[in-house]
Amino acid sequence: MGTAMTENVNNAPVWVNTSNCKACDICVSVCPSGVLGMRYDSTSTLGAMISIDHPEACIGCNECELTCPDFAIYVADKKDYKFAKLTDDAKERQAAIVANNFMSLDQQGVK
Amino acid sequence: MGTREVISTGNELSALAAKDAGCTFFGGYPITPSSEVMHEMSDLMPAVGGVCIQMEDEIAGVAAAIGAGMAGVRTMTATSGPGISLKAENLGLAQMAEVPLVVVNVMRGGPSTGLPTRVSQGDVAQAKNPSHGDYKSITLCAGSLAECYTETVRAFNLADRFMQPVFVLLDETIGHMHGKAMLPTEEEVRDGIVPRKSFDGPAEEYFPYECEHDQPAVLNPMFKGYRYHFTGLHHDKKGFPTEEIETCRKLIQRLEDKVELHKDEIESNEEFFIDDAEILIIAYGSVSLAAKEAIRHLRAEGIKAGLFRPITLWPSPQDRMRELGAKIPKILVVELNIGQYRDEVQRSTGRLDINGLFKVNGRPISPYEIVNKVKEL
Amino acid sequence: MAFNYDKYLRLEKMPTLWCWGCGDGVILKAFVRAIDKLGINRDDVCVVSGIGCSGRFSSYVDFNTVHTTHGRTVAFATGIKLVNPDKHVICVAGDGDALAIGGNHTIHGCRRNIDITMIIINNFIYGLTNSQTSPTTPKGMWTVSQKAGNIDPTFDTCNLAIASGASFVARESMLDPKKLEKVFVKALEHRGFACLDILSNCHINLGRKNKMASAMENLEWIDSITMPKKKYDALTPEEQTNLLPTGILKEDTEADEYCDMYAEIIKVHQGQRKTISQDDFTKKI
Repeated sequence: MGTAMTENVNNAPVWVNTSNCKACDICVSVCPSGVLGMRYDSTSTLGAMISIDHPEACIGCNECELTCPDFAIYVADKKDYKFAKLTDDAKERQAAIVANNFMSLDQQGVK
Repeated sequence: MGTREVISTGNELSALAAKDAGCTFFGGYPITPSSEVMHEMSDLMPAVGGVCIQMEDEIAGVAAAIGAGMAGVRTMTATSGPGISLKAENLGLAQMAEVPLVVVNVMRGGPSTGLPTRVSQGDVAQAKNPSHGDYKSITLCAGSLAECYTETVRAFNLADRFMQPVFVLLDETIGHMHGKAMLPTEEEVRDGIVPRKSFDGPAEEYFPYECEHDQPAVLNPMFKGYRYHFTGLHHDKKGFPTEEIETCRKLIQRLEDKVELHKDEIESNEEFFIDDAEILIIAYGSVSLAAKEAIRHLRAEGIKAGLFRPITLWPSPQDRMRELGAKIPKILVVELNIGQYRDEVQRSTGRLDINGLFKVNGRPISPYEIVNKVKEL
Repeated sequence: MAFNYDKYLRLEKMPTLWCWGCGDGVILKAFVRAIDKLGINRDDVCVVSGIGCSGRFSSYVDFNTVHTTHGRTVAFATGIKLVNPDKHVICVAGDGDALAIGGNHTIHGCRRNIDITMIIINNFIYGLTNSQTSPTTPKGMWTVSQKAGNIDPTFDTCNLAIASGASFVARESMLDPKKLEKVFVKALEHRGFACLDILSNCHINLGRKNKMASAMENLEWIDSITMPKKKYDALTPEEQTNLLPTGILKEDTEADEYCDMYAEIIKVHQGQRKTISQDDFTKKI
């Protein structure tokens, strides 16, 4: 059952409707800024669930939202939220997350 | 009742009836011997601001017609047996999604390409179950030029009443027959139109497929603020696919019962010299014209023959046929196929001694042949 | 506040039945955003889908929706459109639906240039029925119906649509949702048949047996076979061989639209103009 999740209740840059997420990794793969990662979750479809590890690094590019096939991830409107700038640190973290098979960096092992 | 005299053909009268009954869309594909219906509609429809479109194939012809029906207008297609074979799947969709539609089938010889320009009544069994699955077909069969008109009008009203396709069976003989027909006036037909039911409450309370166990869906026209879903899948009250066990069972049972429990609104027969008949001829469509002529000859010779003519072929007038079967010793079914309706007469009367006079060479049955056959019995 | 998709969705149907990472959802999303951008009223839209994974598209969006038989979307949509010439009628079909079983309707929809937006979600395989060869499955790929490798040549959807007379033809992929949204906006604004070849992934039924078992690997493959039209046009025919150009490939705003032409037929029959003749058309044969 889907729920309306367009309201930014916690004044966050990016938030997730976990009941819609199927853990396909696409949002993690398109994030330029190392904000997202997957975490092991035995109750989820593919054994993992999206996690917002570095909200402070979100640049508001909206890529994750647009490429999410399942209406599971939302990004705040640029008018409502002051997003970060893309940094080299963030780019490196993103590369490491991709290398870690889209898992959050503290998550080990094969999905 | 006002009447008007029209000199025309069966096919053209069927098209005229559609226009008078408020039809505003025709989707079709050329096929002998039904093409004249489309030819006529191509003039009649735009004249009333409607649309007649020749589609790329038979399947598209019925699909476009059903699409217009989903959008909310009175809609028709016309074809012959091979066309029905091609349209079958989409006719099933119209049964399942409960989209009203009139399908005129001008019968020719079959199976396959058969005898394209010759008469037959070989599509009677097909009309009962053109598509897979369970549903109850409504099939009317015109036995005169005037009936090509009046039965087409009736088909439109039945389609909207029962929210499903209704067949009008003509045959090559009657479709191409040219002559005088006494028709009801346009005003009478217009006054007799009973449009499909619609819902006018708030949209959030609208459930098109939530209805009594024996009633059809209530489908509002598209683009009017009542957004719902059409599908050929088993569906719930809002039209959305479901596999919920009770919902599925109820839906299919309702498709059957909405017709089965209201047969009295559909049944139509003609009885000709039945009261004292010792020999009962059962015939329909153009064959009934020959049968009537035969009966006049037989009566002149003192043989008490009578005719029972089902105008609604499906659902069949089984109760009336059972009554007649219990009363009249000899029964002869005359038809241009090898006993497709005789099977139904056998089933309805519970008698296995039903005689048949059948012809499948593309030629009509003459009164003389019927007279001879009756004398043999 | 984020973009409000909820207004256009049937929320009780979420999450979708599509597999994780399926491009159908991305395409649906871009479509919804395009409708929103144009400010089209939900009541003025009809979405017609066929059979296949893409067939479910219509049940997720809160418009007037029709889920038809396999391949017949354009035929049903033609009936709906002709009796409602001022409404938006959109077909959604897969590559098998639109190009195999429904190929005839697709080309004739293009030929009539009726004002229908046709979204062909092309994932190069029959997904719903588990990996059979479709008319766009690349030669040499594994399919369950051709386990020794597919030998069937492929359709180029856009060339087919152009040759058949569609007045708006474009190709995009779900890799770039922003471009996708833009092309949907353009197609919806266009009056005439808009045929959109939207490349999508099926890592489950195309990918697993063809060395791209994840959504990302499948998408990388799509990326490797597509190129923006401008760059593509600069290549030699040999270099173009294994590539598909993306972007708007044809846009003819002058072509006669079928409903508009039918309105002329009505005028003839209502005595408002003389019969239509060859002289009424620029192109004569």
